[in-house]
Amino acid sequence: MSALTLTLKNAPEQRIDMAPLTPDNLAGKSMADIAAIELLSGNRRLRVDSLFDIAGDDAGNLVINNANGKLDFIGRGMKQGSITVNGNAGSYLAFQMRKGEITLNGNADAFAASGMAGGLLKVNGNVGDFLAAAIPGDRKGMKGGTVIITGNAGDRAGDQMRRGIILIEGNVGAYCASRMLAGTIGVMGSVGDHIGYGMRRGTLLLFSTPKMHATLQDCGSHTLPFLSLMFKSFKGLPSKFGAINRNRVQRYAGDLANDGKGEILVFI
Amino acid sequence: MLIKLTGGTVYDPAHGIDGKVMDILVRDGRIVERQHDGERIDQEYNLKGKVVMAGAIDMHTHIGGGKVNIARTLLPEDHRGDPVDHTELCKAGCGHAVPSTLTTGYRYAEMGYTAGFEPAVLPMNARQAHLEMGDTPIIDKGGYAMLGSDDLLLRMMAANKDQNAINDYVAWTIHASQAIGIKVVNAGGINAFKFNQRMLDLDEKNSHYQVTPREVLQRLSRAVHELGVPHPLHVHGNNLGVPGNVETTLNTIAGVDGYPLHLTHIQFHSYGTEGDRKFSSGAARIAEAINKNKHISADVGQILFGQTVTASGDNMSQFRNAGHAHPNKWVCMDIECDAGCGVVPFKYKDQNFVNALQWAIGLEIFLLVDDPWRIFLTTDHPNGAPFTSYPHLIRLLTDKTFRNDMLSRISPDAQAMSTLASIDREYSLYEIAIMTRAGAAKLVGLHDRGHLGVGAAADISVYTDNPDREKMFAKPDYVFKDGELVVKDGSVVKVTWGATHVVKPEFDRAIEKEIAKYYDTYHTVKMDHVKVTDQHIADDGRGHVQVQACQGRREKLA
Repeated sequence: MSALTLTLKNAPEQRIDMAPLTPDNLAGKSMADIAAIELLSGNRRLRVDSLFDIAGDDAGNLVINNANGKLDFIGRGMKQGSITVNGNAGSYLAFQMRKGEITLNGNADAFAASGMAGGLLKVNGNVGDFLAAAIPGDRKGMKGGTVIITGNAGDRAGDQMRRGIILIEGNVGAYCASRMLAGTIGVMGSVGDHIGYGMRRGTLLLFSTPKMHATLQDCGSHTLPFLSLMFKSFKGLPSKFGAINRNRVQRYAGDLANDGKGEILVFI
Repeated sequence: MLIKLTGGTVYDPAHGIDGKVMDILVRDGRIVERQHDGERIDQEYNLKGKVVMAGAIDMHTHIGGGKVNIARTLLPEDHRGDPVDHTELCKAGCGHAVPSTLTTGYRYAEMGYTAGFEPAVLPMNARQAHLEMGDTPIIDKGGYAMLGSDDLLLRMMAANKDQNAINDYVAWTIHASQAIGIKVVNAGGINAFKFNQRMLDLDEKNSHYQVTPREVLQRLSRAVHELGVPHPLHVHGNNLGVPGNVETTLNTIAGVDGYPLHLTHIQFHSYGTEGDRKFSSGAARIAEAINKNKHISADVGQILFGQTVTASGDNMSQFRNAGHAHPNKWVCMDIECDAGCGVVPFKYKDQNFVNALQWAIGLEIFLLVDDPWRIFLTTDHPNGAPFTSYPHLIRLLTDKTFRNDMLSRISPDAQAMSTLASIDREYSLYEIAIMTRAGAAKLVGLHDRGHLGVGAAADISVYTDNPDREKMFAKPDYVFKDGELVVKDGSVVKVTWGATHVVKPEFDRAIEKEIAKYYDTYHTVKMDHVKVTDQHIADDGRGHVQVQACQGRREKLA
């Protein structure tokens, strides 16, 4: 069996809702069934075979080639298998993903990993704003799972995040971890303004001291044994974080304007 | 335009017709007796073997007004999770528990419903309620104006005003809000909540106005009766959802001087305190009281399992229940000192003892009340379940085996507390037609709807007889609205716009002087801006007002 490969024929004019194309939805479907699936595109419905060349037969192992930034909702709610995307992805990548693995070799747009509850999302590239954030109307962003970004993330990364781990090897924009409820975010590069704005609980791991607003309080320097355990658990992950083993940090608590149980740990 | 419906099996309880094979003639939207000499039949439908009933009427469904929109805003996931595509005819929409206005109209019509009544039109919000209902296609609509916790009424009562003044104010409110009845929600309780009272029993005084709920009910039920409004005072009782509230409800039935009352979503008001968990069914006692008191009617407000949202004016009980919100978010607010509003999303679970027993209590009430003319099929949409579950509910009532099968799946503790398994009654099609058509029309005061007699509006639904009543009522073969074929095989084939039904009782306009003064002194808007005129409803060329005569009220207990 070879991976089911969908190759985008032409750059689409309208955005395309890719939600039906997940390994669990495609499991057991014949090539003809898959070809006949209709995808929403604006106010039209387009058949999969009108958009993609289809090859391979292993739906548990889906590959999307020649992908384009107009493909939204890749891996929405997926519960099994893996998706590999070569090219860019649109918004809502891994939206409400439950289990499995998504690898993106390219950049993603806004709201990647929003509502994600489990599984692994690896982006070899950059993501837009609202990484792991709650979409308007929802009260929680990411609820579990692991997200690895090798490039940069935009503003509001981890907004209202509830649980899970985000490891960003590049830089992040403003309002990182704003209104965060719980979970862990590690950033190797620089962070923008207003970090931890309205942060309730949760942990931020940073490698350089950011600009901090008045309601984040310095709690002094600490050696925290739990960090060794945590980095040990990162060992197997396909990320530079897997190679770290440090546990001496400067600890800041906040946002004191909103409960103040969150912490920002900066390696020293 | 003459349409002939040939050979259908007709159920028309208003005329005592129980499954008689007969033809129906419709000329220009009305049912007529015979063809003129030489008149051509334009369309003929062969309905041999089909079941023919008047269009169904939902006499209590939250389809318009502030709280429905708040529920929509609060639950984007309800909308995202249930998108509806546009078709050649119908516009796109969304929503499971609180569908968008357009989708609401299509879905009702597709189940054979041709009218729905919004039970909580705040006079202050009436314009929005009518705009939303005006945006609901196909079905007829109307509303009950909400009084009882508004400052003006309580002021008048505290000042011990003459009943005539109250009558005039009530009639003015019906006119101003373009309503067909009056509803009272937790009489005085919404107001008391604002003075920090968190419970208000029937004889407990509002700490500010020193007025009790019983007095409010007495005044309003008398006003509605004396004005000749056919729909009796529509009562959402005190202590909704509180174990032991069966006493309050029985007290309410007994304690309003014999004036007719309609007790709404009575399932939520029929709880006892027996058993290990201090929560039990009061259905038998409630049903007995309804059977005995001919001036009382009720709709059930059945709950069905699944995700929905409760939207009510009763902010006292909604505040009490806010801890159960699922998903965990809720809104309770005041609305311009007229009343309040509480929206709490809710998931009823069949393995939850309380929810399961609520389910059983509702069904017990349905089955123990003898007179189908005085008990009505509702889920208090969306509070107990969305209206789309009506076919399922009809099957529960008409099919004992199915009902017991469902009963065996709920929480065993709840099963043990319910007498449902021992009730053999199965509703007949005739009784279903009473509950959902003839009885509902009579209750609301729709003189030309809910029946198939000569002169009635041709709101007709046609079903294929099927022992599985859920399948049967979910997908009518044909639905006619005012003589036009709007639904075929369960899908909309034509989009029309129904009427807004109102009553316009006589009253002394001098009352406006006092009302205007009250608005000028205390409110943010002038009295004249609160009034909704016929023109406002007809303005966009889709809706129109149909005035129902103030006659046929239910009589007072001697």
